[in-house]
Amino acid sequence: MTILSVKGLSKSYEKFKLSDVSFELDKGFIMGFIGRNGAGKTTTIKSLLGLVKPDCGEVAMFGKNFYENEIDCKQELGVVMSGVECYQDKKLSAVADVTSRFYKNWDGDAFKNYLKKFSLDENKRIKELSAGMKAKFLLALALSHGAKLLILDEPTSGLDPVSRDELIGIFRELVKDGSRSIFFSTHIITDLEKCADYITYIKDGRILESTDIESFRSGYRAVSGGSNELAPELKEKVIGLREHKFGFEGMIKAADAALFDVETAPISLEEIMIHIERGEQDEEFVI
Amino acid sequence: MKNLLYKELRLSVHPTMYIFLAMPLMMLIPNYPYYIIFMYTCLAVYFTFLIGREQNDTFYTATLPIKKTDVVKGRVATVALFELASVLISVPLSAISVKINPGGGNAAGIEPNLAFYGLVFVMMGGFNLIFTTEFYRTGYKLFRPMIFSAIFIFVYIGAAETLAQFWNSPISEFLDRAGIFAEHLPILAAGIIIYAVMTFCAYKISAKRFEKVDL
Repeated sequence: MTILSVKGLSKSYEKFKLSDVSFELDKGFIMGFIGRNGAGKTTTIKSLLGLVKPDCGEVAMFGKNFYENEIDCKQELGVVMSGVECYQDKKLSAVADVTSRFYKNWDGDAFKNYLKKFSLDENKRIKELSAGMKAKFLLALALSHGAKLLILDEPTSGLDPVSRDELIGIFRELVKDGSRSIFFSTHIITDLEKCADYITYIKDGRILESTDIESFRSGYRAVSGGSNELAPELKEKVIGLREHKFGFEGMIKAADAALFDVETAPISLEEIMIHIERGEQDEEFVI
Repeated sequence: MKNLLYKELRLSVHPTMYIFLAMPLMMLIPNYPYYIIFMYTCLAVYFTFLIGREQNDTFYTATLPIKKTDVVKGRVATVALFELASVLISVPLSAISVKINPGGGNAAGIEPNLAFYGLVFVMMGGFNLIFTTEFYRTGYKLFRPMIFSAIFIFVYIGAAETLAQFWNSPISEFLDRAGIFAEHLPILAAGIIIYAVMTFCAYKISAKRFEKVDL
C-alpha cells in the first residue's frame, strides 16, 4: 500500500527551482531522501507538507489528497525538522501537554514509555537537550500520537556517530512491524546504508532517481583504465570523470558499461554520490 | 479554538507578558494621559510576536493538525484576549482613579470615562488591523508592522486627546466629562463594534496573506 505519493511537485524561487518532484513510498519501509546541501531536500519536504506553497503538484498521504485533507493527514503524520528549534525555555512536559491536545489518538502512557526508552527527563527544558535528544523528543511526540508516517528532515545531521547509529537503530525498530513508514532526508550516506530500503536522489531541484537501494547501487559501476582506453564515446558516458597522468577513473551506468570493453567494478553509495555531484566541474579547481 | 488558545498561553506568550496586565495600575496615577496604558498593551502584543518569532512558534503551530490559517486565528484571538483583559482590569481602577484624583479632574488628558473606553477600543482595533495584517505578509518581519502601528497609535492618541482636552468646544466638554454614563454609552458601544469589526478584518486579511507565505 502506498502511504506517501508525490507527483509533479514544483516550486520556483528567484535563484532556485524545484522541478517535477515525484516519488512513492510504501507502508512499512524507510526511504532515504538524499542530495547535497542546497539540492532542494528541505524545500521538497516543506512543499509536500504545505509549509511552502508549491506552484503545482499533488501529494497523497494514506491514500488521501494531502492539501484537501490536511487536518486528517496530519493526525497520522509525525514531522521532525532539524534546525528548527522551538520553545527553548519550555519544559518537555509543557510542549507534550500542548501537543497532546491536538491529537485524537494521543497516548499519554506511550509517551511516558518513549521518554523512558529514550532516557529523556520531561522536567528538562528543551535548551538543555543535546541535538540527539531533541530529535528523540520530537520522535517521541510523533510516536505518541500514533503517527503512521514519519517525515524527518536531516534528523541525523549534527549528531555524533554513536547518537546517529542509535537513532538509525530506532528507525529500523519502528518499521519492523510493518505499520509505519519513514521518509527522511540526509546527506550522510552511511545513514542510508544502515537502514534505508529505498532511495530518492535529488540534484539541483530535480529527482535523479527513486528506487530500491540495491537497484540504485547496482545501477552504477566504477570505471577506470589507461588514457588510450578512453574513447570519445566512453568519455561521454562516464560520470564524474577524472583524468590523470596514467589514465582515467569515474563512474558509468551499469547499462552503459556493457557497451564498452573497459574494466568496471562495484561502487559504494558514497562513491556514487561523489561521482554524481562531481560532474565535470572538479577539474576546474586548480590549486 | 480552545486548544489554540491554550497553546498560545502555555507556550507562545512569554511569562513576562503577563506583567503587562498590571499596567492598568497606572490608572491610579493622577493627571495622566491614560491612553498610554493601552499603548503598553499594544507593546506587549509586539513583544509576543517578537518572542514567538524567536521561538519558531509559527513553525511548530503550522505542523500541528490544524489549517494554516488557524495559526493566525489563534494569535489574533490571543491578542484580543490580552486587550480585553487589560480593559477589564482597568475598569475598577479607573473608577477609583476618578474618586482619588486630588485635582478633581484629569489635567493631563481625557477623563477615564466610557467615552474614553470607546476611543481606546477604536485605537486597539486600528492597531490590530495595521500590525497583524502587516506582520502576516511575511510571518517574520516585524519592523514595518511595528513602525506603522506605532505611528498610528501616536497620531491617534494625539488626535483623540486634542479632541477631548485641548480643543475648546462642546465636543471636547462632552467627551471629557466624568460621570455621564448614559450619554457616553453610545460612544463605548460604537467603539466596541468598530473594535470587533477591525479585529475580525485583521484576522481575515492576515489569514489570507499568511496562506501565501512560505515558511
